[in-house]
Amino acid sequence: MSLRIGIDVGGTHTDAVLVDGSEVRVAIKARTTADIESGVIDALQQLLAAGDFATADVRAVMIGTTQFTNAVVERRELTPSAIVRIALPTGRMVPPKIDWPEDLAQALGDHVFMLHGGRLYDGRELAPARDAEADAVIEAIAARELDCVAVASVFAPVDAEPERAFAARLQQRLPGVRIVLSSTFGRIGLLERENAALLNAALLPFAERVVDGFERALAARGLLCPLYISQNDGTLMDTAFARRFPALTFASGPTNSLRGAGLLTGERNAVVVDIGGTTSDIGVLRDGFPRESNLGVAVGGVRTSFRMPDILTLGIGGGSHVTVDGSGVGPRSVGHRLLEAGRAFGGDTLTATDLAIAAGHLDIGDRRRVSDLAATTVRRGLAVIHGRIDEAIDRMRSSSDPVTVILVGGGTALLSEPLTCAGAIHRPEHAAVANAIGAAHAEVGAEAECMAPVAEREAVLADLKRQASQRVVAAGALEDRIRITDVDETAVSYMAVPTVRLRVKAVGPLDLEAMAHG
Amino acid sequence: MAEDFERLSEIRAEDVADLCLGSVFLATGGGGDPYVNKLLTEAALRTHGPVAMVSPGSLADGAWVLPLGEVGAPTVSLEQLPVGDEPLTALTRYEAATGRTVSHLIPFEVGGANSVLPLVAAAARGLPVVDGDGMGRALPEAQMMTFAIAGVAPTPAVAVDYLGNGVTFDTASVDDYERQVRHLAMAMGGMIFTAEHGMSGAQARDCVVPDTLSFAVALGRLLRSRRGEARALLTELQALFAPSIYGVVRHLYTGKVVDIDRRISGGFDVGEATVAPVQGVGEPLTVAIRNEYLLARSGGRVLASVPDLIIVVDSETCAPINSERLGYGQRVTVIGVGCPPHYRTDAALRVVAPRCFGFDHDYVPLEDLAAG
Repeated sequence: MSLRIGIDVGGTHTDAVLVDGSEVRVAIKARTTADIESGVIDALQQLLAAGDFATADVRAVMIGTTQFTNAVVERRELTPSAIVRIALPTGRMVPPKIDWPEDLAQALGDHVFMLHGGRLYDGRELAPARDAEADAVIEAIAARELDCVAVASVFAPVDAEPERAFAARLQQRLPGVRIVLSSTFGRIGLLERENAALLNAALLPFAERVVDGFERALAARGLLCPLYISQNDGTLMDTAFARRFPALTFASGPTNSLRGAGLLTGERNAVVVDIGGTTSDIGVLRDGFPRESNLGVAVGGVRTSFRMPDILTLGIGGGSHVTVDGSGVGPRSVGHRLLEAGRAFGGDTLTATDLAIAAGHLDIGDRRRVSDLAATTVRRGLAVIHGRIDEAIDRMRSSSDPVTVILVGGGTALLSEPLTCAGAIHRPEHAAVANAIGAAHAEVGAEAECMAPVAEREAVLADLKRQASQRVVAAGALEDRIRITDVDETAVSYMAVPTVRLRVKAVGPLDLEAMAHG
Repeated sequence: MAEDFERLSEIRAEDVADLCLGSVFLATGGGGDPYVNKLLTEAALRTHGPVAMVSPGSLADGAWVLPLGEVGAPTVSLEQLPVGDEPLTALTRYEAATGRTVSHLIPFEVGGANSVLPLVAAAARGLPVVDGDGMGRALPEAQMMTFAIAGVAPTPAVAVDYLGNGVTFDTASVDDYERQVRHLAMAMGGMIFTAEHGMSGAQARDCVVPDTLSFAVALGRLLRSRRGEARALLTELQALFAPSIYGVVRHLYTGKVVDIDRRISGGFDVGEATVAPVQGVGEPLTVAIRNEYLLARSGGRVLASVPDLIIVVDSETCAPINSERLGYGQRVTVIGVGCPPHYRTDAALRVVAPRCFGFDHDYVPLEDLAAG
């Protein structure tokens, strides 16, 4: 046996599956709770009750969570955080957060600081650092009692010393403060890297609470196996890493659901619509893998430097607020409070789920409680939902031909009528837990990186690809299914010989047979 | 007969995103990432209102037209932000240095960031811009501008760096000017702003590549509203380009980026991208880069070369990809577009033919090359 548990903690539901190899043995749905932890405990309890297995036989638990993406999208659980950009005099009129949505910028507080310093492309100093200026910022951070600070300096991928120097100074004065350096997010592109570091910083206290909760939940149900968290590219990270880099989970939900939808239907090319409690994520499976975005992906309206699947997110889900006349749906959602706050469940918020119940597409809650809804409200609201999702599918498909659509997630009942863009529409068994299935089939990844003289670039690159692939095999992946997913190259300055830093990432599916015997 | 695009009489804040998108396509990989300059330009147009735009043919003899823009390596523009007031500073310094009153601004090139920079200064000073540019595309060097080819002197010119340092140039030839301004860019962080090739309305009427800003807005609008597979969009692109100064649009290759070797050298982004079939085997395509995509070759044959336009777009969305954004694994479609007739004269080919960039290839117009 190679039993694994895949869990998806969404905004509304916490789903869990027990898989044995590629077979789904048990799938259950629980509710996400405000503390998250008790929802996971409940899901594990249901799984243990429904499945005939011993906890000691479970090799690994893999958790995918949209908690961190949702926190950004809904502007909640975010800790006021400072951003310190080291780039003056450049960027004076293009300050950090310049293109952020107003409400998200406010959620992090008005704590934008700019310092002189940073590097030029050739590694030379852009401007001398000014100690007094840095100390004034540090005192402001202290006075405002900020616990989380992101630091971004211009050309940090070439030389991160200005970020490290400020961080050391800050740490010395305020030892307890959490610091995120933009250089840990790689890539050239100051605004995107700065945004990634700042969002990550604002999520740190929440990440600590969430990951602690996951660990307590596993312990509470006697699971002593390793716990992994899904990253945005479908690979796994351990819990210590997840506490420090919650932003790396952005889009892990869509990645898991896309892969889960592919596994459940066998389709290799399709548009996947994942309808959750708060959002609908529309992505594309191409040749069996999530289609990646070529540009920096926006999270909650903010451009970031992450490599992620090309996902269009709409603020439409089962818990979306609906206006009295049905013309407005979302983006606010009752989230995990759907089963209390929704009208059909005795609450007083009209939600998208109430519309589906009133229309007879869904048989949960108490239909009588929504019988007073005007037929025009129900019709208009459902038409808004169908129209916006249809339009999103149209934007995502790669030609005007009808496209195969796979509906997954907990809110598929919101879409009961035909879609003009769709050819075949799949509603696979276990569709509601596609994310958890994707999480349980997560891949393993490994990187290899080094500096090389430009003249030896080709040979070194080939060697790095080999090294990264070998590391993925060592981590338990199938040797013949390894693929190189990323090659990143940065010219390094201050070297006598022209030099580049090369970084290669290889990824492959876990060898389940080997796990069984291992 | 394809419908002609609309000539705009002003650029509004709402047009800037389309102008940038269309410009990135026409920039053939160069011109710099327009994102930050788009933010600056939208802010300027919201503060000061729309910028009036006039067609080059309507310029009076006595008008004084000043080209403005940034010079350097596009990769730098992803990382190093402008201060924000450079275009206005360059204009002010130019007027102070020359004693002239500038009546109109114009971009060097309709390319990436450089299409919109004159708008920032034009909005702040209430000046109109000319609907056109000096390239109809982007190209890496000053002597390649139609202004220079027509004999407009590059200097007196001024350059402003990120520290606010100003430099005035007075050179004998455009080649000397290019060498000096390039070295200044390298010395001062890889990116500077210049005001150069100032000219009378009479000169501008002769050498400006006309209507390219309006065309870029129309192209951006098409790419945004018809986001979809590049090959499927080809017919619509052909219909838009056919009646314009560009003419032919041709599909060259579709595949996946398997290698991108690129570095900053001599003040330029220099390198080569290799695109191979997504599945199966086949001759790969290589695209030579010097800020712009200059030469596309496959199986020993040239499929398109400078001065014709080579454009790399995302295969799925048809979004154009600047050379500094090109990365491993991207699914791309490579498209060739004919250059404006300004570049097919003997005088122009002496400075923009493939041999000017070190390629062992004589220019053959795109429509006369065997198709890929």
